[in-house]
Amino acid sequence: MASAPKRRPRIRPIINLVAAILVTGMVLFVAFFPAGPLPALGPAFNPTSGAWTMAADAQVGDQTLRLQGLQQPVSVLFESNGTAHITAQTDHDLFLATGYVHARFRLFQMDLMRRQGEGRLSEIVGKAALDTDRFELQLGLLRTAQTEWSQLSTSDASRDALIAYAQGVNDRIGEAESAHQLDAMFTLLGYRPQPWSPIDSLLVKGDMTQTLNFTDTPLVMALLNKSLGTDLTSEWFPVQPPNLQAPYDPGPYAKASTAPIETVTQLTDAEAQSAEALYQRLAALPPGLISQGGASNNWAVAGAKSVSGGALLAGDPHLHLTLPAIWFQLTMDSPGYHAAGVSIPGTPVVLIGHNEHIAWSLTDAQNQQTFFYNEKEDNAHPGMYFWNGAWQKYRTVGYDIPVHGGQAAHVDVRLSVHGPVITERGQATSVWWAGNLPSQDLGVLLRIGQAANYQQFRDALRDWHSPTHNFVYADDKGNIGLISAGYYPLVAHGQPWLPMPGTGENDVTGTIPYDQIPQVYNPPDNIIWSANQRQVKASYPYYIGTASNFFDPGYRADEIHRVLSRPGKLSASDMMALQTDTRDFLASEMVPVLLQTLAGTQLSAKESAAVAQLRGWDYRMDADSVAATIWNAFWSAYLDETFSPWWKSRAVPVGREEEGNSNKLDDALGQDLETWTLHDPANRAFSAPGVGSRTAPDAQKAAFQKAVAQLAQKLGGAPSSWSWGRVHARQLENLAHITGLNYGPRQDRGDANTPLAAGGFPSTHGPSWRMVVDWGARSFQGVYPGGQSENPASPWYTNRVDTWWSGLLDPMLSADAAASAAGVKKWSLRP
Amino acid sequence: MEPAALRIAVLVLTGVIVALLGVLLGAWWTPFFVGAAFGLIIRRPAVAIPLGTVSGLLAWLFPLAGAQLRYGLGPTSVSLAEIMGFDHQGTLPVVLTLLVGTLLGLTGAWLACAVGMIVRPQPR
Repeated sequence: MASAPKRRPRIRPIINLVAAILVTGMVLFVAFFPAGPLPALGPAFNPTSGAWTMAADAQVGDQTLRLQGLQQPVSVLFESNGTAHITAQTDHDLFLATGYVHARFRLFQMDLMRRQGEGRLSEIVGKAALDTDRFELQLGLLRTAQTEWSQLSTSDASRDALIAYAQGVNDRIGEAESAHQLDAMFTLLGYRPQPWSPIDSLLVKGDMTQTLNFTDTPLVMALLNKSLGTDLTSEWFPVQPPNLQAPYDPGPYAKASTAPIETVTQLTDAEAQSAEALYQRLAALPPGLISQGGASNNWAVAGAKSVSGGALLAGDPHLHLTLPAIWFQLTMDSPGYHAAGVSIPGTPVVLIGHNEHIAWSLTDAQNQQTFFYNEKEDNAHPGMYFWNGAWQKYRTVGYDIPVHGGQAAHVDVRLSVHGPVITERGQATSVWWAGNLPSQDLGVLLRIGQAANYQQFRDALRDWHSPTHNFVYADDKGNIGLISAGYYPLVAHGQPWLPMPGTGENDVTGTIPYDQIPQVYNPPDNIIWSANQRQVKASYPYYIGTASNFFDPGYRADEIHRVLSRPGKLSASDMMALQTDTRDFLASEMVPVLLQTLAGTQLSAKESAAVAQLRGWDYRMDADSVAATIWNAFWSAYLDETFSPWWKSRAVPVGREEEGNSNKLDDALGQDLETWTLHDPANRAFSAPGVGSRTAPDAQKAAFQKAVAQLAQKLGGAPSSWSWGRVHARQLENLAHITGLNYGPRQDRGDANTPLAAGGFPSTHGPSWRMVVDWGARSFQGVYPGGQSENPASPWYTNRVDTWWSGLLDPMLSADAAASAAGVKKWSLRP
Repeated sequence: MEPAALRIAVLVLTGVIVALLGVLLGAWWTPFFVGAAFGLIIRRPAVAIPLGTVSGLLAWLFPLAGAQLRYGLGPTSVSLAEIMGFDHQGTLPVVLTLLVGTLLGLTGAWLACAVGMIVRPQPR
C-alpha cells in the first residue's frame, strides 16, 4: 500500500496573497486618498467627473438652461472674446443671471476670495494658510460683512440684488455638481464649494478694500522714528510732499486750516518693540493682504477740449495682474439697471464702466484709513484696557479654523473701542481701519449705474466709505468731474502717522464733511486727472495722510498732466496713447542734471558710452531703450549712495525697497532726493556717517560709476546692448500660484513712474483694465489682460493678453450690437 | 468559436460594459470590482488578471477618447501637467489616468485570484 502523498506547504499562494493585498492597498490608497502633493487619483483623474471635465467646461456653445429662481426668460450673449451681455426683464433676474454667469466662469476664484475674507483658506490648503486665516479673522472682514448684511433694510435694492445674485451662483453650483462639471481645481483639491450667500459677496468687496487700503505705514514710521531719529524721520518723511506735484483739486478750500500738524516725537522702547513685532508679522503675510501702495490712472477731458466735441474719459486701475483677472467684462440690462464695463466676480454690479449717460472709473485715493492704537493694560486689570478714564473689558470673539490634514485651530480676537487687537504678544496694539466700518458700497454702485448726471453720481457717492477712491466722471453732455469719495478720518489729537496711545485722547472723532473732500466739476482748464497723487495742495485744511507713505510720488500724475495740458484738442486715440505712455517724468528732471554733473568728468570708455546713450534720450522706458536701463540703474544706485550709509549706521530695521508691505520707502526717499538734487545739493543727507562731506554731484558721480559697473557685470558686452527689455519683464500670475499657468515673464516697457505702470522685476502689477470713452463719438473701448474664464484649457483664459500688451482696446459693444457680431454664442436662461 | 472562448468573450464584453457604465456614472472605482469578479469567476489567474487589466484600461480609455473626439484634450492635458508641476508634458496626465484605470482592474483581479487560491479546494 502506497503511503499518502505528503501535502506540500502552500507558501506560494500565501506570498501571492500578501503581495496582492499590499499592492492593492497601495493602489486603492492613492486612488482614494491624497498622498503628498498628489490629489486622490481616482476622483481627480477619472475621465467622466474628474479634472478632465475642464475640456468640456472650456466649450461655450448655444444653450438653453433652466435656472431656479428666475422670474422671466433671460438672454445671455457671448462675443467671440467672451464678453457677456445679459438682458433680463426684471432687475431680480438680471442679478440672478449675473451670479450664474460669474460662477460659470469664475467659481473657484470666487470661492478663494470669500475664503480669504472669512479666514477659511486653511480648510483647503492646510496649515500653510493658518497665519493668513488667523490674521483675517482678527482684522474682521467677516464681522464687517455680517454687520453690513444685518444693517441692510429689507427694502434696500442692493439686498435684493445680493440675494438674487447668490441664487444664481447656487444655481450654478448645483448644476455643476449634478453634471460633474465643477472647476478642476475643486476636484484636484478634493473639496466642494459651499452654497454662496450674500455675506460672501460682501466679503469679496472687503477683500478689495483690504488690498487697497489696509496699511502698516504707522508701524514703519514708528520704526523709522526710533532708528533714524525724530529729526531725520520728520525731515525725510514729511506730511506734505517735498517735491512739486500736480494736485487735481487746487482749491480754494472752504475751511481754514485747523490745528497744525505736530512735530514727530520720540517713541518709547516698548512702543518701538511692539511696532517692530507687529510690522514683522504683517510683513510675513502673503501679498495682497496689505496695501502695497497705489498705482492707477484716470482722467477726463471736457467736451470743450475734445476733438469729437464730447467729453473723454480714460481709466486704468493698476492691480495685481492675475490669471484669471480680477475683472469680468459684461453688460447688464434690465428695466432698472443698464451698465457696461467690468465687475468683480462675487459681486453683482459693474464697478467701472458706463451707462447710457455717464461713464466712470476710479483710482485709489491713498488717504490714511488705518490707525494703530497702543492699548494701556496692567496686571491688576486682566482682560481690560484703559480708555476715557476707566478700565474697559475687551469684547472677545472666538473662531475655529478648520485645517486640511491637521487639527482645527482656534483664535480668540479681542476688540477694543478702536478695533481688533492684532498683536499676539507684548504691547497690545489695536487697529482702527475704515474698512471695518459697515459701508454699503454695492448700493452706491447700483445708484451710480443708474445715475444720469453729475448730481446723481455725486449724491450716490455720498455713502461710499471705504476704500477711498478718486471717482472720475464724464457724461454725454460734455461735463467732467472727479471726486475722491470715502471716509477721511479725523483724529482729535496726536500723530496719526504713528501708533497712538489708546487711552481716548487720540481717537478718531469723525471724518471730513463730504462737501469738503477733494473734488472738482468742470474745471476751467477742461481736464482732470488722478494717479494716486495727493489730491490737494498744502493749504488744504485737513490732515489726510503723509506725503511719503500714503500718496504716490506723483510722477505719473505729472506726466499725465503734462500731456493733457498741452495746447490743442484731444481725441480718444490720444487717451489710448497716454495710457501706454512710457515717459518717465522723474527721468526727465534728473537726467539733464546728471549729464551736467558728468560733463568734464573723466570717464571710462563704458561710462562714456553710457553717457552717449543718455544724451538725446526721450525719457521713454521702451523695451529697446538702452538709456532706460542706464537711468534705472543710476537712480537705484543714487538712492543707495545717499541713503544706504544712513540705514547701515542707524541700523534701520525696515528695508528701503521691500515688497509685500505698504512701504516702498525708496518712493518716499526718491521725492527727497529729487528735491535736494534740484534745489538743495548740499543737503546733509549726502554726508552720511562714514562717507565724509559730500554734495549731490559727488553722490551722482559715484552712483553713475557704480551703475555702469553693475550693468557691465550683469549684462556684459557694449552698453549699446543693454536694452531695458533685457532686465525688465512683466508676468501675469496664476491666482492659485501654479507657476506653469502664469503668462510670462515677457520683456516689457514702462516702470513705476510711467503712466504705463510696470514697477518691479518682473512687474506683476499694472493696468488691470483699460477703458477709453468718447461721448462725442459714443465710442466705448476697453480691455484687460487675461480672459473671461478661469479654466486654463479655455480659449478665454489668456485670449485678451496680446491686445492688452500691444496697447490696443476692444470695442465695448452694446447687447444689440453684439447680437449681430460674428461668432456670438447665445444662452437662453429659462425659469 | 469554441464554447470556452465564447464564454470568455462574453465575460470580457460584459465586464468592460459594466466597468464602462460605472465610470460613466461617476463610479470610477467600478473596474476594481469588475476585475475582482473576473478573478472570482475565472479560476486561472493567467486569464483573469489580464482580463481585469484590460477592462480597467478600456473603462477609463473610452470616456477619455470620447472627450478627445468631442472637445479635444490637448489644452486640458497640458494644463493638468502644469498644475501637477510637469511643465508642458501633456502626455503625462493621459498616461497617469490610464494607469489608474488599468491598476484598478489589475489589482481587483489579482486580489480576487489570490484569495481564491487560498480559499478554494486545491485540485488533487
